[in-house]
Amino acid sequence: MDNTPCGARRPWLIAAAAFACAALLHMPALALDAPKGPVVLSITGALTHTNDNGAASFDMALLATLPQHSFSTKTPWFPQPHKFTGVLVRDLLDAVGGSKAGTARAVALNDYRADMPTDELIKNDAMIAYLFDDRPMPVREKGPLVIIFPFNDRPELRTAVHYSRAVWQLKGLELR
Amino acid sequence: MNAADVHAGSGAQPRRVWLFAVIGVLVLVVLAVAYVQWRQYKLLDTAAHFQNDALGWSFSQLETEQLRLHNEMQRFVTDPQHADADKVQLRYDIFVSRVGLVDHERAAEVMRGQVAYQPAMAQVHAFIQQADAVLGPKPAQALSVAALLPLMTTLQALNLPLHDLSLGASHLLYERATERNAAVRLQSQLGVGLTVFQVVLLLVLAFIVLRQLRTLTQRRLSLEALADSLSAARHGAEAANRAKSAFLANMSHEIRTPFHGMLGMMSLLQDSRLSPKQAVYLDTARESAHHLLAILNDILDISQLESGKLQVASQVMDLMQLLNQVDALMRAQAMDKGLLLRIDVAPDVPRWVRADPTRVRQILFNLLSNALKFTHAGEIVLAVRHGADGRLDFKVTDTGIGMDDATQARLFQRFMQGDERPSRRAAGTGLGLQISRDLARLMGGDITARSELGKGSVFTVSLPLASAGPPAQSADDADDAGAGTARPLRVLVAEDHAVNRAYLEAVLEKLGHRGVFVGDGHGAVLAVQSQPPDEPFDIVLMDLHMPDMDGFTAARTIRAMPAPHGRVPIVALTADAFQTSRELAREAGMEGFVTKPAHLPQLRDALLRYGRGATMMAPEEPPAAAAASTASPTSLLDMATVGDVMQTLTQPKYAKLLGRFFEQRQETVAALRQAVSEASHADLRSRAHSLKGASASLGLRAVSALAQQLQVSAPEPRSADHARLLDRLEEVFELSRVECQSAGLLDGFTPPEALAPA
Repeated sequence: MDNTPCGARRPWLIAAAAFACAALLHMPALALDAPKGPVVLSITGALTHTNDNGAASFDMALLATLPQHSFSTKTPWFPQPHKFTGVLVRDLLDAVGGSKAGTARAVALNDYRADMPTDELIKNDAMIAYLFDDRPMPVREKGPLVIIFPFNDRPELRTAVHYSRAVWQLKGLELR
Repeated sequence: MNAADVHAGSGAQPRRVWLFAVIGVLVLVVLAVAYVQWRQYKLLDTAAHFQNDALGWSFSQLETEQLRLHNEMQRFVTDPQHADADKVQLRYDIFVSRVGLVDHERAAEVMRGQVAYQPAMAQVHAFIQQADAVLGPKPAQALSVAALLPLMTTLQALNLPLHDLSLGASHLLYERATERNAAVRLQSQLGVGLTVFQVVLLLVLAFIVLRQLRTLTQRRLSLEALADSLSAARHGAEAANRAKSAFLANMSHEIRTPFHGMLGMMSLLQDSRLSPKQAVYLDTARESAHHLLAILNDILDISQLESGKLQVASQVMDLMQLLNQVDALMRAQAMDKGLLLRIDVAPDVPRWVRADPTRVRQILFNLLSNALKFTHAGEIVLAVRHGADGRLDFKVTDTGIGMDDATQARLFQRFMQGDERPSRRAAGTGLGLQISRDLARLMGGDITARSELGKGSVFTVSLPLASAGPPAQSADDADDAGAGTARPLRVLVAEDHAVNRAYLEAVLEKLGHRGVFVGDGHGAVLAVQSQPPDEPFDIVLMDLHMPDMDGFTAARTIRAMPAPHGRVPIVALTADAFQTSRELAREAGMEGFVTKPAHLPQLRDALLRYGRGATMMAPEEPPAAAAASTASPTSLLDMATVGDVMQTLTQPKYAKLLGRFFEQRQETVAALRQAVSEASHADLRSRAHSLKGASASLGLRAVSALAQQLQVSAPEPRSADHARLLDRLEEVFELSRVECQSAGLLDGFTPPEALAPA
């Protein structure tokens, strides 16, 4: 207990640590850190927390601050199931204050675009993955980001519509 | 019924086979439809999952990326100073990433028909190998115009193959889509066909079920109809049986009355001077007549037992006295045959028991008579003992011929006789044992028989006779009272016929009672009502058929009065022997029932039994023998009754009654004629009934018989028949009068107006 940052012996220290903890937890929600490395994802449109000229831009390090998730699923593009790791769209939208947006337009490097309702993305546990079988994805392997759904766990998602929403080489989300 | 069953049975088998066949086919169809649906689902699922449709898009994307990469390289080559190496790198990476989407096993499988696919892919890979030296993950050479120019040439060469592949994939996919659509259409058609077939089968099934239901309903209806007709037939049979019983009771009554006359006449004849031969003939005739009478009584009993109308009374009776009577009667017969008759009563057998003395005596007589009949030497013992369950066992043991087993088995059957030889047949009706057993069972007991051929028989009557205390006044006193009761009774007589009234007056006088006489039901009601409550009538003798108000209504009206008037004992008087009349009388509240002609013994019994303050029990007395005072060898008169009445009333009184009756004959007939001419059926019937009762009381048999005919035919609207009957009545009246006169029955009667016949 003693080695936890929130635990301390003196009352004023407890109060200060509690404040610090709360502040830490709320920091990303209140204001996004500016990206330091190359921007891999840029969120624009109806959002409240920005860090880059009215947009929320993420580098890999910034994405890694969000809660991490991973699952394995079969996809139409590979004969074998593969493991995907990344952040949930739900957490990402919370982070940028864009949960209230109705539609998210995903844009890929090759200018592929797909519109999808945000509530469905949230409900279906859609994930923005940056690790493919625990390895980063270069562009020539359809990276660096991909929107992926848990097709294995949810048979109802195995439709052309949802496959079309699994966008490879994702570079941006436009919230409306 | 049987034919219907056979028909239904042969029809049910194929129908059931049909039913099972239809159900079987239905199940197969449902399975087939399920299979088709499953196939369809798999087809769609596979198509969606493997994104086959997307292959065309992927090829065109690859083509686009190839062009975009070429453009970017072109820009770099044309203006190297402002060129962006990263952009070329990005476009190259995207191009490479698109190759993976069209170059894999499934794509190869889909594109197997396309000859250009494999070479084009090889060409693309050759380009990538070449370009990776400059733009790959580990470039061996820096990006420069010189390095790009050969690459651009190779990339340019990819234009045509990629475009062809894109078009080919599109066409291929159109074909696949068309194929799939065709498959889906076929399956849909199959589904529709199966569904239609299913509907047809369902209709067939429904039809079969409906037919089955209709058959069931029809069968139920026919069963109901059968039950109805059976029930109607049963009611008809019961009604017929009741009619038969009534007819039998009536007939035996009608036969018995003249029969007694015949017996009386024969007694008279025996007293006259006869040649020995004639005496033998007469004995035989008398014996036959007695036998006939016994048969008649048996038949009457049987008919009453069968219709369930015979009722067993339960009264306190002196068992010892009954056994003494039986002994006295049977001892003479036994002695005639040289047999010993012994009656052995255990000391603990009670003297006073509750039972119906007449019926107990009847059973014992029957068993003892049988024993006497079939025993030729030795003795007959009637032993009375306490049996099981508080019953009394009357065991009749004889040393007679006995019975074999077969005979015993048939013993209690109707018309069964132990000895089937024709010469024996005259000895009994064969009804006696059946009647005895039925009576015993009616009393809650039974009769059993045990016998051995040649060694004798034992018949045991077991009856539940409860012991009782002696009645308040002992039977000896009643016997001492002789012709009357201890004290004179106040008797109200309701009787519409003057002669009957006069007759009853004479009888009551002889018995020492005081009579009050009224002519109809109204009179009876008024007379009862007007009595002071402390001095009510002791008994009412009520004729059932009277004009104005009949006996039933009068009895009911009296019963509705408060005590003591409403409690006065009422005894019905009627010429009917019908059991129904008896029951109706009881329902109307009358205690007793005396059949006309009411002779002195019956009336005395009735008064003793039912009169208020009289003894409980009527002393039993054998029916009075036919009087032997006068002789009249004609069927116009009932000499038994004549003798009886004369004995009761003395000859002068009878002569007076008879004389007055004949005096009124013209008025009587005139009144009847008037009723006929006015078509007043009720009046005719009532007058005829009244005449019947009066003439029967006086022993005028022929007159009574004609009056009965008139009464019966009264409701029929054929006045011609009535007129004929009335003519005959007048004639018989006159004949009877002459007969009575010549027999000396009218001796001592002087008409008040001395009207001598002209």
